[in-house]
Amino acid sequence: MSVRHRLRSLWTIAYMNGVIPVRRQPLYLLNTIASPLSFLFFIALASRGTLLRPAIAGGMVLTMISIGTSLQADLTHYKQDMKFQDLVVASPVEAPIYVAGLALSEFLYSIPGLSVFVALWVATGPVPGVFDAATVVGTLLLVWAFSSALGFTLATYFEDIRETFVFGPLVSLGLTVLPPVYYPATFIPAAYRPLAFLSPATYAADLLHRAFSLGAVDPRFGPPLLAAPLDWLALIAVTAALFLLAAKKARWREP
Amino acid sequence: MPEALRSEELGKTYPHGKEPALDGVSLRIPAGTVYGLIGRNGAGKTTFVRIASTQLLPTRGRVEVLGFDAVATPREVRARIAVIPQESRPLYFLTIDELVFYHLRMRGMDRRIARERTDTVLRQMGLADRANTLVSRLSGGLRRRAMVAMIFASDAELLFLDEPTTGLDPLARREVWAAIQKARHEGRTVLLTTHYLDEAEALSARLALIERGHVVVEGTPAEIRSRVKYPFRVSLPSSLSEAELAPYGEVSGVEGGWLVFAREDSARELTKLALDKNLAVAMAPISLEDIFLQLVGRPLTEGDALAEEGP
Ligand SMILES: Nc1ncnc2c1ncn2[C@@H]1O[C@H](COP(=O)(O)OP(=O)(O)OP(=O)(O)O)[C@@H](O)[C@H]1O
Ligand SMILES: [Mg+2]
Repeated sequence: MSVRHRLRSLWTIAYMNGVIPVRRQPLYLLNTIASPLSFLFFIALASRGTLLRPAIAGGMVLTMISIGTSLQADLTHYKQDMKFQDLVVASPVEAPIYVAGLALSEFLYSIPGLSVFVALWVATGPVPGVFDAATVVGTLLLVWAFSSALGFTLATYFEDIRETFVFGPLVSLGLTVLPPVYYPATFIPAAYRPLAFLSPATYAADLLHRAFSLGAVDPRFGPPLLAAPLDWLALIAVTAALFLLAAKKARWREP
Repeated sequence: MPEALRSEELGKTYPHGKEPALDGVSLRIPAGTVYGLIGRNGAGKTTFVRIASTQLLPTRGRVEVLGFDAVATPREVRARIAVIPQESRPLYFLTIDELVFYHLRMRGMDRRIARERTDTVLRQMGLADRANTLVSRLSGGLRRRAMVAMIFASDAELLFLDEPTTGLDPLARREVWAAIQKARHEGRTVLLTTHYLDEAEALSARLALIERGHVVVEGTPAEIRSRVKYPFRVSLPSSLSEAELAPYGEVSGVEGGWLVFAREDSARELTKLALDKNLAVAMAPISLEDIFLQLVGRPLTEGDALAEEGP
């Protein structure tokens, strides 16, 4: 396929899986908003509002990670229950096009959630500058990319959609709930802080917390964990590694 | 005639399988024909289709599809094929029209051509009046037809249809048959797996019967017929005794009487004998089902190929 055909193919998949179902049932759009908002609600409530800003950043990250987990669920469903992926494998559509098309449609579902968080971000602090806005967009794009690559790789190993119901929440827990995503890293006792670096979401949250100027707004939050270039480097490295993993280990043609 | 598909000693043992699912299958499928792959549950039909259509790697042997090695050059093969996987289901949140049209767009087809081909195929498959019905509101048979329409609308040169008519009513089956015949008239090649022997015989220029991963018999339906010892069948009522019938051929008891497989002359003789006794009798060339029975020793519908190996 030429580049034009590939783009056409990618957009068609996104349109089929995203635009058409949403046009038929707009309530789908509320699907991804629920869990990031509920975390935000509880954390803001329990902290009497002090953690509202970091929790907004956390909500953004969790929304993007959720794209990966719902992509994984869709992929497993399409492969195991519908045999649709088998049909696609034996067609001119290549794996990256199929996955990117589906990931794009999942992104569509997360737009309402993201809009809420962006609105809260702007409403609860100083007006963000262009640099901060670019940081947020870039960070979220990388989280979207790595969580999609991870979702795809996992999906090709699952044989039953029910496995998804276990893994999805576990991945969310390990990547976003435990690490300092909804709260600032400085809240973790210094001895345990290195553990936070195990989750790639930590780097994303660190960048967001910086863009949200948490430390400047409220001195209790302290400075970000790492210098910005290190956060970027780590996030890009994780994304590249997960893309490589997907390229090497995802089972498109089965062994 | 050039070959659309050619396999040499193709073998597959699944990662967790003990017995090979395919054990040295060599087939040649002439271009522009319908080729039937038949065999019982678990015989290895789907495994063959999945390997040839680049969904699965073989553990030995090779397979060439439209001149390209399916293992080494899957991209070349994928550009030229389309598949209905066994038990595949259409995307339920689309209408039939969307299903077919966007499938073509996904394969990279231009909008105008995709539109034309969609309209044509929906008309041919008797789906035009339901084009805007959601797949989730269709009966199982109509969903199957929508799948078939989707694949036939593509411009693939070789179509793999893994049990495309399972679960269809007789009329719907005929519509799928007509679509398959049309694909052949367009010069396309169709590899069809099926449990319906009448279907295999009606559509296929050649057939292969697979049993436990081996090709048991291969050829045109006529060639396959000529391979069996008793090409005729006579059905007789139970008032005759087995001992009376035994000299004429192979006797088996069926519901309400006997079935005798015989050579043509014995079959005629037996029929005459029964007519003389004023008994109801029917003589006919054997069906593929009967051939199966004679070659494999059990009917196609009786159990799984590997079932008797037990737990
Ligand atoms: N993924 C798999 N892992 C292990 N064994 C498998 C797998 N898929 C199929 N098999 C085994 O391979 C053999 C051939 O299966 P296959 O699906 O090719 O048969 P089939 O002829 O298509 O049967 P059916 O008519 O039921 O569709 C069977 O014994 C089956 O159990
Ligand atoms: Mg099968």
